[in-house]
Amino acid sequence: MLFYLTKRLGLSAVVIGLVVLVLFSLLHLIPGDPATIALGPRATPEAIARYAAKMHLDAPVWQQFLIYVGNAMTGDLGIDVFSDRPVTAIIMERIGFTLALVCAGMGWAMLLGIPLGCLAAVKPNSWLDRVTGVLSVGTIAVPSFLVSIWALLIFAVHLRWLPAIGAGEPGDTASQLRHLILPAFAIGLSWVGYLARMVRASMLEVMGENYIRSARAFGLRPRRVIFGYALRVAILPTITLIGMGFGGLISSTVFAEIIFARPGIGKLIFDAVMARNFPIVQGAVLVATGLYILVVLFSDILIAWFDPRVRESL
Amino acid sequence: MPKDTTDTPETLLDIRNLSVDFRTPRGRVKALRDISFPVRKGRIVGIVGESGSGKSTVLWALLGLLAKNAEVTGGEVRFGDRDLLHASEAHLRATRGEEISVVFQDPMTSQIPVLTYGRQMRDILYRRPELSANEKRRMAVEMLGKVGIPDADKRIDQYPHHFSGGMRQRAGIAMALLTGPQLLLADEPTTALDVTMEAQIIHLLQDLQKELDATVVVVSHNLGLIAELCDDVVVMYAGEVVEAGEVREIFHNAQHPYTRALLECDPARIDDVSRKLPVIPGDIPDLTRALSGCIYAPRCQRRMPLCNGQTPPEVARGEASFARCHLLEGPHHDPDWPPPLDVMTVGLDGAAKSKPTHTKRGESLLEISDLNVRFETIGPLRARLKGIAERHVDAVFDVSLTVGPGETVGLVGESGSGKTTLGRAVLNLVASQAGAIRFEGQDIRNMPENRFKPLRRDMAMMFQDPVGSLSPRKSVRALITEPFHIHGHTGVNLDTEAERLAEMVRLPKAFLSRYPHELSGGQARRVGVARALALNPKLIIADEPTAGLDVSVQGEILNLMADLQAEHGLGYLIITHNLPVVRHIADRLAIMYLGRIVEEGRTAEVFRHPVHPYTRALVEGVPQPDPDRRRMHVSISGEVPSLLNRPKGCDFAGRCPLAQDRCRAEKPPHVTLADGRRHACHFPLT
Repeated sequence: MLFYLTKRLGLSAVVIGLVVLVLFSLLHLIPGDPATIALGPRATPEAIARYAAKMHLDAPVWQQFLIYVGNAMTGDLGIDVFSDRPVTAIIMERIGFTLALVCAGMGWAMLLGIPLGCLAAVKPNSWLDRVTGVLSVGTIAVPSFLVSIWALLIFAVHLRWLPAIGAGEPGDTASQLRHLILPAFAIGLSWVGYLARMVRASMLEVMGENYIRSARAFGLRPRRVIFGYALRVAILPTITLIGMGFGGLISSTVFAEIIFARPGIGKLIFDAVMARNFPIVQGAVLVATGLYILVVLFSDILIAWFDPRVRESL
Repeated sequence: MPKDTTDTPETLLDIRNLSVDFRTPRGRVKALRDISFPVRKGRIVGIVGESGSGKSTVLWALLGLLAKNAEVTGGEVRFGDRDLLHASEAHLRATRGEEISVVFQDPMTSQIPVLTYGRQMRDILYRRPELSANEKRRMAVEMLGKVGIPDADKRIDQYPHHFSGGMRQRAGIAMALLTGPQLLLADEPTTALDVTMEAQIIHLLQDLQKELDATVVVVSHNLGLIAELCDDVVVMYAGEVVEAGEVREIFHNAQHPYTRALLECDPARIDDVSRKLPVIPGDIPDLTRALSGCIYAPRCQRRMPLCNGQTPPEVARGEASFARCHLLEGPHHDPDWPPPLDVMTVGLDGAAKSKPTHTKRGESLLEISDLNVRFETIGPLRARLKGIAERHVDAVFDVSLTVGPGETVGLVGESGSGKTTLGRAVLNLVASQAGAIRFEGQDIRNMPENRFKPLRRDMAMMFQDPVGSLSPRKSVRALITEPFHIHGHTGVNLDTEAERLAEMVRLPKAFLSRYPHELSGGQARRVGVARALALNPKLIIADEPTAGLDVSVQGEILNLMADLQAEHGLGYLIITHNLPVVRHIADRLAIMYLGRIVEEGRTAEVFRHPVHPYTRALVEGVPQPDPDRRRMHVSISGEVPSLLNRPKGCDFAGRCPLAQDRCRAEKPPHVTLADGRRHACHFPLT
């Protein structure tokens, strides 16, 4: 287990290193001088020279790269071009909002999608199964930005049940939660469909296994057989899917955060790209990648926790 | 031990006129029709039949666990004062696991892999709220100990994959007996196990039945198991009970032609190996059609015109003992039926009654010498971290073996003996580390694939799983001509070739356009033989050629293989664990244990006089289809050790009843005796 963790963390470091390299090269591959790109066409030569010196742009590229990596290791992701504040601090301010949104979105999708998939699999071709099937395809097919816009129009503008924009008053949990509902609904909706389909398929397979018949032959209650036995095995591929889904959701939040005007990593990256604020883009993408890798690692460990055979092969 | 039959025990379970249909896309399959038989208290009842006989369906019907497309169309199953067929689901659930419990066929797949035995067994006791978790655990540990699991209090916290096959089946029996059920059902309890494990499980079931005075119903196709274990026997064919009676009546004085034929086909009963194996011609009838008369009539050796139209009478010969046949009663009563046991009633497949003699072999076709195949079990870095010095296991260890043209060599061993790995090494499918493999004098060991490919035409493989090894989306025609494509034979007319091969394996031409799922086990096996023969090979490596085949058709395949050998001078290397079968086809036998050949010699001699104690244990381990030849003791205990900790001395020393200190210290070298027999034993049997 320790060996496995070390190996996985080492691999993660390699992946992050590659991401940094790509991000870094991108900045230098764009035609023109990074300082001009960062400061825009109307910057004075003095300003450009000042910026270049501050950002070590006068050093050779490989040195710049090493400086960046070295700083990143100590938690220093550079300085924002406009506000002169540390990128790390800016990202840390926003990351909580994104994490809350992603967790809430995936959370409600799991709470609804997994039981729906289970029930659909237990009674295949029942009305519940058919309704779930149609709903799954429907929710998967609709893009989340459309859902965001419609949810905003219906629940915030017309019905006025929920707030439309922002993340709520700082310190007021109730208000923050109310602001979380619509975006979480919007980004989680398609995941209800994914999860229901995935769980249904693997449940159907597991329900046909001999050990499920054994459990029934020993007279266990149906609820125990379905949730205690079948789901315990059927959930394993779904855990991997959810792990990867978190990564996908971090990027879906871009739309939701723009439409609902929520602060967050997605909106931060979007704004930074528009303003060519490269230190922020680099830092934010790096943090998002790191998060994604952590979640996938966590989901693999979760599988090992559920399945002794995987656990022992680690 | 057969029981005293003078007192009539009360009936615990009474199955009356049970009928079950399956709704399938092809129509309604009338899987069970009017099944009636009693199960008397305190007895072991065997339900015997071939695939498609509906024997397992009976079991699931009385548990109320039939597949979703099944429908019980009539009858009742009395259990105590209840009718299980019409009980509510809640009622049935209270019966299952509590009053009626099951031992399953395949312990590898019937126990959930992600829960410990402790948890699984606690779950079974969920209806005992008065017991604390600790008390439940104590009960479970006690039961695991009773079925012979050592260190039960530790092993209960392990998962099924920590247990070997035999141990899992023991645990399965413990789970079934945990609640003290009145009736124990066992569905092919030893089919997935090795010969030495099978013997142990049979005896365990017998001992426990005696100790707990339980009633047991065993479903099996294995006549030896039924004869060894059961008091009463029910013979089923195509969804009907054709005969029932006490075990001696069935095995010594079978009344129904089917029972008789089934017994005659069992290779374990036939001592004369010079003759071809008897077979029951034909296939099980299509149960979607309307049926009339005797169900067995189309395949019956004593078929009469009236059999097709008129339902045979049920002729009783005692309480719970009857057979359904026109020969026994009525206008066509035959006082000379059944003939004495040594008279054969079933015909032999093909005209020649005796097996063709083999062509005399010249030099060897395949020559394996001192072959070693090792597998890496753990990466180098991890091994260093964990302090493991030996990272490899020897799956094949110092194996020398030859196969001549026209010769059949049987490679016998239990699972994990390395016999399949050896076959794969010969075909260059796994790399080997030392030794030599010569095919017609040329060393082919670890030959690069581009040079080996032309040789693949001369060596063909018959795979173990006949249906699983055929692509489900290809027709039989495409499947049997596939080798031509693979080897780029463009000049041949594939249609003619397909017909030639189909005729060779006696597969009707109409089958060429069918797909694998439309074939029976025997037919799929023929397709496998045809594929292997397509390019006129010189050597065929057959991995368990009769696994999964019914007794009545396995003779067909074996006879076919013998005919083809006589015709084409093929050499066969037959990898199997089935001793009765290999005895009939192999000229020579090699017995493998833990990757090493422990004995090799001419088949008849190896059977008559085994030299190695392991060989003797295997030969004696086969349950005999004769209730008078029941074994009173298990000749070999324990199980095959893991390759990971191969014993320092003789690999078999840990289980050998004759082992001495030298056996545990020193690996016995291979010794060749005067008659050409080789063995690896310090103290060979004399």
